[in-house]
Amino acid sequence: MGQRIRASFLGLGFVGIMSTLYLGLLWAPSVANDAFESPAAQRIFYWHVPSAWASFIAFAVLFVGSALWFFKRSPTGWRLHVAGAEAGLATGLMTVWSGTVWGSAEWGTPWDWTDVRLNTFALLTLLALFLVLGRRSQPDGVETRDTFSAFGLFGFALVPFTYVATRFWVIRHPGPVVATGNDGSLQSDMALVLFIGAISFTIFIIGHILTSMHITKLEQRVEMLQSEIDKGG
Amino acid sequence: MEGMSYLTVGYLGMIVGIAIWTWTVFARSKNLEARIYAIETSLGKEDIEADSIALKSAINEEN
Repeated sequence: MGQRIRASFLGLGFVGIMSTLYLGLLWAPSVANDAFESPAAQRIFYWHVPSAWASFIAFAVLFVGSALWFFKRSPTGWRLHVAGAEAGLATGLMTVWSGTVWGSAEWGTPWDWTDVRLNTFALLTLLALFLVLGRRSQPDGVETRDTFSAFGLFGFALVPFTYVATRFWVIRHPGPVVATGNDGSLQSDMALVLFIGAISFTIFIIGHILTSMHITKLEQRVEMLQSEIDKGG
Repeated sequence: MEGMSYLTVGYLGMIVGIAIWTWTVFARSKNLEARIYAIETSLGKEDIEADSIALKSAINEEN
């Protein structure tokens, strides 16, 4: 896919993300003062929720890529695996960062080790970190790719578990505010900003995944050229 | 810290994260393209699109 298309996704996504920030800070209504300990800090959720949404997309890409490599030996599958792991790490870290900052303001503590949602999401982010660092530290080969793909396949089980965690165990992390099965607990203006954020992060992460796949293709080409040189041209 | 301070720290951290992530991706891409151009020019080669590991794996499975 062309450089112009990748740049368009990234640019459009970035503009949308910045628009979400502007709308979230200056246009969206405030929450009731008695509903939160720190009502101002609640506005972090206009990026926190979309970045968590984007991370789930990234982990789905990681799962599909891992399956395509593991069962079909597809080069595109491996590129998807690499791109999904990198995007999952970046968006996962953003989600954890914004969550801990909000937790510090709202709960008085950045983390709660008894909360299921927090810990399963942290495990997902650590899985992405392991895959990204592992791939960079290990020589590329069939066995290495099989091992990392197996982690990508089994690690995906944490995604639905993380998604439903707050429906079964509301400990610290708030329960779901969208897709709740009733009219939802969000005001329409807040829901609109959140929706723009989710669309923008989705477009942005698609741009990053396409770019990351292109980079992996370039790395593979460098390896091919180097092996040609090693053989004597 | 006040709520607005937490909000500022939270958003600034994420903006820095997005900037580093995007810059790293573009820097890696440019660096690799420059390396490939230099090697291919010196070898007089056409573009090589294949994934050597996938090729090796396919050959092993055929044998």
